Amino acid sequence: MSELLPQSSFSPALESVDLRKSYGSKKTRFEAVRGVSLKISPGEVLAFLGPNGAGKTTTIKMIAGLIRPDAGWVKIAGRDPHRDPQALRGVGAVLEGNRNLYWRLTALENLEYFGTLRQMNRQVAKAKGEALLEAFGLTDKRKVPVQKLSRGMQQKIAIAVALIHQPQLLLLDEPTLGLDVEAGETVKALVRQIAASGCAILLTTHQLNVAEELSDRVAIIRAGQIVTEQPTQALIKQFSKGTAYHIQFEGALDQTQTAAILSLGATLESEHHIRYFPAGEISEANGESANSESANSESASGESSSAAVASATLYKILHILEPLPLLEVRQDRMDLTDVFLQLVRT
Amino acid sequence: MIDLFIGEFKRTWIQTLRYPSEVIGGVVILTAVFYGIFLGTQYMAGPDIAFGDRLDTVVIGYVIWSLVLYIVNDIATNLQMEARTGTLEQLFLSPFGAPRVFFARAIASLTLRSLLTLVVLLIIMTISGSQIAFPPILLLPLATLLLGAYGLAFFIGSLALVLKNVQQLLSLFQFFLFFLLAAPTENWTGPARLIANVMPILPSTGLLRDLMAREQPLDWRGWAIALVNGLVYFAVGTLLFHWAEGKAKRQGSLGSY
Repeated sequence: MSELLPQSSFSPALESVDLRKSYGSKKTRFEAVRGVSLKISPGEVLAFLGPNGAGKTTTIKMIAGLIRPDAGWVKIAGRDPHRDPQALRGVGAVLEGNRNLYWRLTALENLEYFGTLRQMNRQVAKAKGEALLEAFGLTDKRKVPVQKLSRGMQQKIAIAVALIHQPQLLLLDEPTLGLDVEAGETVKALVRQIAASGCAILLTTHQLNVAEELSDRVAIIRAGQIVTEQPTQALIKQFSKGTAYHIQFEGALDQTQTAAILSLGATLESEHHIRYFPAGEISEANGESANSESANSESASGESSSAAVASATLYKILHILEPLPLLEVRQDRMDLTDVFLQLVRT
Repeated sequence: MIDLFIGEFKRTWIQTLRYPSEVIGGVVILTAVFYGIFLGTQYMAGPDIAFGDRLDTVVIGYVIWSLVLYIVNDIATNLQMEARTGTLEQLFLSPFGAPRVFFARAIASLTLRSLLTLVVLLIIMTISGSQIAFPPILLLPLATLLLGAYGLAFFIGSLALVLKNVQQLLSLFQFFLFFLLAAPTENWTGPARLIANVMPILPSTGLLRDLMAREQPLDWRGWAIALVNGLVYFAVGTLLFHWAEGKAKRQGSLGSY
């Protein structure tokens, strides 16, 4: 795969600054996108998430040069697709809800055609097409009309078509929508491979587990504005602070042990299950600060002291439990879905 | 650019010929419609009617009408169909730019359509006994006819890009074209002649009838007028299309239908 795709460079594959777009006339005018700025480096996957109507598709289409922004600018590998048509050589797109392919053409014919459409030499396009089909495990389907292939195979071919001209940026709008589990896993593996080869990927999806698995960073848009943009794991970790710890053990607690544990602020969920919720940290994690970039600037010392307090209490509980056999000690972990829902509901 | 032409040529031919029954059906329908008109006229006018030269001009008029109608509808129909099937936005992602892509595919589909039209023409000539001449010089007025027709095609395509649903307009346009192609404008004089010179396609159709039905030599002055007419309509059509693309991008409605 690596020889099929662009080599990494240090300049951003995508840079968009303060994109704005409104639709309608005076009375019915509404702002679909309000000052969206995004930056993606080569090899990076940015999950661009938001509820329906939040402005994702408008933003993606502005990036692809399909919708003209009212204000702001886009650069794909340093070129503006709205001013310089050659900038489009740097972008490939699989757009949501679209077939993106000619169904009467075979997989290879589609690849060859779209290659020439992206200014490739026909022979080169055909050779690249063959190589992509091999990399995507579709060589045996190269001469089958696309309409006779499964939805998963069609989606793989649509991604291959978007990559035929070796773009620096790949726009994937709902790439796993409507796919069965196996096809979805294959597409996810492909996305990882493509990113590993140095292509930047802007991914939108409503399947937040997919976004969590694939993305390096997450940008969440609500009502046309980015409400947070952070590395995926950092965002989840930030929201997971202050969530409950659970201790499962064998054996029975005596009255003294029970009283001691309760006095530390823990609760007994069942005979063998203690739940400890570090008090006073909920607002810090889930409050307003998380909705803005300022959440990133939270002091490291404050974070570590909260964790130290929580850990100290946990050690005390464990000490009380000694020597009962421990089965599990874990902390509730939020996933991207929880984070997303909190952010779009506030 | 040559790769784009070949690519479009291949795509168009493969898409059309992958289901040959559709092609055969198209030829049969085009021929049957003409035959219906031919027989109907004979039935109403009586068996003694002699079309004579008129028959040849009617045949040429019909064939040109079907060709021009196809060309004029081609871009708009393509835009609407591809918006529905979801490939339209991929075309606008081409670094060639949409006007060049649509021009390349229009030329590609013309090669296919010309072949089918020739088949229909030969069948009609056999059925009706028409004797039509094919002097090579007819390619000159044919070229100006195509320029004008593509100008109109880009004009209708522009409307399709901005207004989206232009089916009703396309139907109305059929009658407008029928009038343009059926009117014997080569005989017009005075102000009517001037109007015929500025109307789309008209200067070329008169020349084609003269060459093919009446076997007259090419009127070079008339052809110069047809050339200017074709170039102007083509230039206006492509400029309008470029404007419509920008308008659709500002409206955010490029891929919608």
